[in-house]
Amino acid sequence: MVIWDHIGMWVAAVLTIAIFSLLYRDNPFYRAAEHLLVGVSAGYYVINYFYASVIRKFAVPVFQQGDLWLLPGGILGLLILLRLSRRTQWVSRYAIAFYVAAWSGYLIPSVIQERILIQLQGTIPPQPGTVPWDAFLGAIIVLIGVISILIYFYFSAPHTGVLGRISQVGITFLMIGFGASFGYTVMGRVSLLIGRFQFLFQELPESLMNM
Amino acid sequence: MISAWLTEERLGRTLLAAGQLPWRALAVGMILAVAVGAGMSPAPAAAQATSAESPPVHPTGEAALAPPGDETLGDSRVSGAQEADAVSDPAALVEPEILAEEVADQAEEDARFAWLQPVSGWFTPARFPTAVATLLFGITLLVLITRARGGRDLYIRRIAGLEAVDEAVGRATEMGRPILYSPGLDPMEEVATVASINILGQVARKAAAYETRLIMPNRDPIVMTVSQEVVREAFTEAGRPDLYDPNDIYYTTQSQFGYAAAVCGTMMRERPAANFFIGHFYAESLILAETGNATGAIQIAGTDSDSQLPFFICACDYTLIGEELYAGSVYLSREPLLLGALKGQDVAKVGILAILILWTILSFLGIDIRSWLG
Amino acid sequence: MKKTGPVVFGFLIGVLMLLHHFTPSSWIGDRYNNVLDWKQVVFGITLILGVISLFTYHWKKIERRAEGWGYSVITVAGLIFMIAVALIFTPERGPYPWMFDHVQAPMQATMFALLAFYVASASYRAFRARNFHAALLLTAGVIVMLGRVSLGELIGIDSVSTWILDFPNTAAKRGVMIGVGLGMTATAIKIITGIERTYLGKGA
Repeated sequence: MVIWDHIGMWVAAVLTIAIFSLLYRDNPFYRAAEHLLVGVSAGYYVINYFYASVIRKFAVPVFQQGDLWLLPGGILGLLILLRLSRRTQWVSRYAIAFYVAAWSGYLIPSVIQERILIQLQGTIPPQPGTVPWDAFLGAIIVLIGVISILIYFYFSAPHTGVLGRISQVGITFLMIGFGASFGYTVMGRVSLLIGRFQFLFQELPESLMNM
Repeated sequence: MISAWLTEERLGRTLLAAGQLPWRALAVGMILAVAVGAGMSPAPAAAQATSAESPPVHPTGEAALAPPGDETLGDSRVSGAQEADAVSDPAALVEPEILAEEVADQAEEDARFAWLQPVSGWFTPARFPTAVATLLFGITLLVLITRARGGRDLYIRRIAGLEAVDEAVGRATEMGRPILYSPGLDPMEEVATVASINILGQVARKAAAYETRLIMPNRDPIVMTVSQEVVREAFTEAGRPDLYDPNDIYYTTQSQFGYAAAVCGTMMRERPAANFFIGHFYAESLILAETGNATGAIQIAGTDSDSQLPFFICACDYTLIGEELYAGSVYLSREPLLLGALKGQDVAKVGILAILILWTILSFLGIDIRSWLG
Repeated sequence: MKKTGPVVFGFLIGVLMLLHHFTPSSWIGDRYNNVLDWKQVVFGITLILGVISLFTYHWKKIERRAEGWGYSVITVAGLIFMIAVALIFTPERGPYPWMFDHVQAPMQATMFALLAFYVASASYRAFRARNFHAALLLTAGVIVMLGRVSLGELIGIDSVSTWILDFPNTAAKRGVMIGVGLGMTATAIKIITGIERTYLGKGA
């Protein structure tokens, strides 16, 4: 291990403790670490994305390989920078409209297919007798849950009477589902903490001994 | 006479020539697509293969951060994948001699109609159900929006989280503390962020009316500049442009946890009396909501991320669940065009319920037409 | 030009992206890939806008000697240092990857690890179930939590946990997903048709 790696371990340890100190309360150590994280990561990402997108997807293909199909990307990018001046701000709308509408156009069919049609397909129960009874019962529960949740999300009528009762069933399903998601995630989060403790109490002393 | 002139070859060449012009080819392709699509049932294997080629809906890595409970969601996709595996090698299901004969016939057929191939390549038949659903939903939406233009007062049910906006802003005013608004982590292109910015406009109007400061840390530079405009406009409309400070709406960093650290620090130091977390969030949702809770702020959250909803529900006072986020801006603004769109969503929901019930009845009767859905 | 132009431009791009889903046409496929590349370039450049904003925000604080200006010095120094070393030594070697490995990554990982504590405090809040629905959330959460550890297997709760995850949880996720899908699609349609244009800013 070279000296810079040892120094790096100690820097990382100090910063780890500084971030953990937020659990106590806001303090100068956390505040310094937070500001450092913001500055360093902002610098890191701007360089990273600049190389990955502007250089690789614009400068190299356009100026070295002569691929003019990628020229508009650079022009639209430059239009974005016109946002810095109030007088030219309106020009940047072309770039923003492009940016937002392109993704919207992509989303419409993808969402209809993945989030609606395929989910509906999976919700329709099979014919009774073709699957074991417990799987069939489960499929019926899923069907009832989906129907009642969709009624909960119905906005055009007050949730009173029958509609109110069905939407209550929907909320019940939602809460069980959210509870299940919560319970499932807890252990994963604990393992993250164990990872940081392992760094502080295992890797760091090992690094010290290796020195 | 026309039929004599219009031979298969001529038709094919004409269509090919048309295909060289993108816009004409598009029209021809769409017409053929509808014709082809109407006559054939979609192949699940092909659908599966093409959907796998599409870029992920959330390229920022929601899937990686979503709780593993999501795995259970994909059962239809899992079965889809199994079907795809099962039919990916049709040769395995057919006798070799019959297969050879069929392959020869097919080759002959392909040779005869080879010049027609580019035309049939304008539409992916497996996407026919999606095309129909997209068209139906789009038309429904646009019709209802046009009707809403007439200014009819359309009803929307009460949404508790949005009713609480006044309470939250009022409380901040009483305590003389600011409001904090986080638009989530997604960039401007994501529709959840667009919905959040709409809600921001309404919250900013109330903040301006109550003369309360609004702080907004951002992870995306475009979201920041758009938010600055939206908030400035809201303060101007409320007659208090002097209260607007562009420095209160600022960029932090692209880093997910760098952003979380910055927002937590702001909450600890500025002690906002009301926190709004509205947009698409990832694992940092609980860090933000719990820190806000520790500062004693009233918290209103809203997200379409089903994996983060449980955390907001536990740690916030009010939560807009899923689609309520999209209904939020309509609810607060009562803008007729947006109301029309919300009605369109409800009509689609009724259609979905009808499909679920009808398809279930048919399934019970032994008629399985689930493949019609894609 | 100022109002309608961007909306028409957005509409054309949106329709191109939409059509790509339905056609195997290589021409549309190529343009679709071009649009994705352009988007990446635009995104890369927007970050420059962000960095300018971040720098200006903190620089003003330093100039005015505003409260906490010393911390702003740290942010500005971190930002300039990262950009400078990447330009001098290239991003592949030297202090740039070192800073990522030993400064940025550990702090990000620690922020993420804070979730373990926050999950505990949120669980405690959920434990004070105040109504029927909160009690449901709590019960389902506890069952699934126990079902994931060996104790759950010992007391035979793992099968209940699996059942909850497979059925009521699937129903909840699917219901939310379909509702969100409708909201997303409606918003996206409003965007490409120009009905929704708040994102374009004032006067659009």
